[in-house]
Amino acid sequence: MHRMMSDKRTIFLMMAPGFAVFFAIVFIPVFVSLFYSFTDWDGISAYRMVGLHNYRELLLHDPVFWKALRNAFLLGGAFLLIQHPLAVATAMILQYCGRAEKALRTILFIPSIISGFVTSKMWVQILSTQFGLLNRLLDAVGLSTWRQDWLGSSSWAIASIIFVAMWQGFGYAFLLYYTGVKGIPQDLHEAARLDGATAWQLNTRIVLPLLQPVIRTSIILAFIAAFKQMDTVYLMTQGGPDNSTQFLATYLYQKAFSINLYGYANAISVLFIIVCLLVTAALNRMGRQEVGEF
Amino acid sequence: MARANPAMNRKSPLGWPFGIVMAAFAAIQLFPLLWLVDYSLLKSSQFFGASILIWPKPAQWANYRIAFTAGHIPRYLTNSLVVAAVTIFLTVLLSMMTAYVLTRMKWRLSSFFYTLLVVGLIIPLHATLLPNFFIFKQFHLLDSYGALILPYVAFGLPFCTLIFCGFLQTVPRALEEAAVLDGLSVPGILVRIMLPITRPAIATVSVFSFLSSWNEFIMALTYVRSELYKTLPFSLLQFTGQYSSNYAAQAAVMTVIAIPSVVVYLLFTDQITSSISHGSVKG
Repeated sequence: MHRMMSDKRTIFLMMAPGFAVFFAIVFIPVFVSLFYSFTDWDGISAYRMVGLHNYRELLLHDPVFWKALRNAFLLGGAFLLIQHPLAVATAMILQYCGRAEKALRTILFIPSIISGFVTSKMWVQILSTQFGLLNRLLDAVGLSTWRQDWLGSSSWAIASIIFVAMWQGFGYAFLLYYTGVKGIPQDLHEAARLDGATAWQLNTRIVLPLLQPVIRTSIILAFIAAFKQMDTVYLMTQGGPDNSTQFLATYLYQKAFSINLYGYANAISVLFIIVCLLVTAALNRMGRQEVGEF
Repeated sequence: MARANPAMNRKSPLGWPFGIVMAAFAAIQLFPLLWLVDYSLLKSSQFFGASILIWPKPAQWANYRIAFTAGHIPRYLTNSLVVAAVTIFLTVLLSMMTAYVLTRMKWRLSSFFYTLLVVGLIIPLHATLLPNFFIFKQFHLLDSYGALILPYVAFGLPFCTLIFCGFLQTVPRALEEAAVLDGLSVPGILVRIMLPITRPAIATVSVFSFLSSWNEFIMALTYVRSELYKTLPFSLLQFTGQYSSNYAAQAAVMTVIAIPSVVVYLLFTDQITSSISHGSVKG
């Protein structure tokens, strides 16, 4: 048994196909990016090595790059402060909904399961200035003064993007907490009730602390998602107006495929990966604390 | 998870007010999508009317006919299905083999490769769009099924391997030991024993791969320019020129893209839930 399970040839043959694809598509491009990030390549003419020039430009002279980072933090913050508390509360309350529980759970996840392509395009129509559903709704309830060019003004555009991203991602956040809540043993509920705990006490003093690990990982996932945000922005505003909704992914895409600044775009790619790794590591470290077993 | 929740359901003075709040909340979440479907059955001109939700009478199925022809849906749908099917097959095959080696076989670099997969989970696929575009160009892969299938498999592999790893850790080794005594080799174990036992994990991974391939568009947009290989999201982009103001048909296209995801979700709710909660465990 042991010899068979450490047979080098079998191991190689079984690992090779998966990792060949994985290396070719995920890791090797990272190094290709790294190489070209030191050049002034435009995709056509011969390129020159320019050392750290692109990185210096990005970090010191490119306000859009910093704006993209700021937007990622804004979105992450909105996930953390609005979406996730709402998701935790929903997951807890849903237990008390009796027979409707299963149906409601299913419905709440539906927006998350649909292609971001469809939902983003749908929101573009809803938010459109003249005939958009939102502005018409405001008219209908007599709040015509609240009408906005939701995607056309800098401050509303980023708010709209954040709202749509939260709407789309809510199902995921909710489902994570819901399975967490369901995973808490019934004995604890029983014991708490025998001790005379109210539903409020039960949820705040027992369920919430036991959800800690789920909350931690969910928030890490949410922040990473905020930094990786692309689909919604790309389809709704392309980073505009005036770069106000730019995220790292859309910015690099624009630099690469609209204005052919390949060297520069590759430098953004590299920094993008570094930022994602740093954010993950930082959040992992921050959230590390012991929770009792159950 | 499937356990009933007697503590909650038995006494319910709290029940229905909460139920109503939640139902209202769910309705708000769902409303834009209902509007979209409603709208796909209306006349385009009704889009500009004053009312918000109009009962389509009669339902304008013509919108869907226009969507199918103007949006090139038959061709793109076929492409989406081909890409999804091959992606599912390869992802299941590769991630199962990888997971088996990582959890069961003994070799020095096992934990190193496991870490690589976890790092792979963090790397944003958007950062690979540009280099991969040129690599694919170099290898004449642009405008082919491969340009979609390969990245879909590659970016699905880490997560799906971790799902299989998690599942395999709960499978006792006794069966495999018996199988070895009976003279089965490693591939034999995989096919005869692991394939049936890991069926729940296979289902989870398949559903996950289907959804991520079906819903994906940014890589498709980058690597595919030719009519021959475009996938379903592209049908919405066909609505320029004479069709650009046909909003109802566009809503119909969006509905057509969305429905398979919803149907798959309703059929495989448990698998999807388990893959999501896996994400939280493995982070």
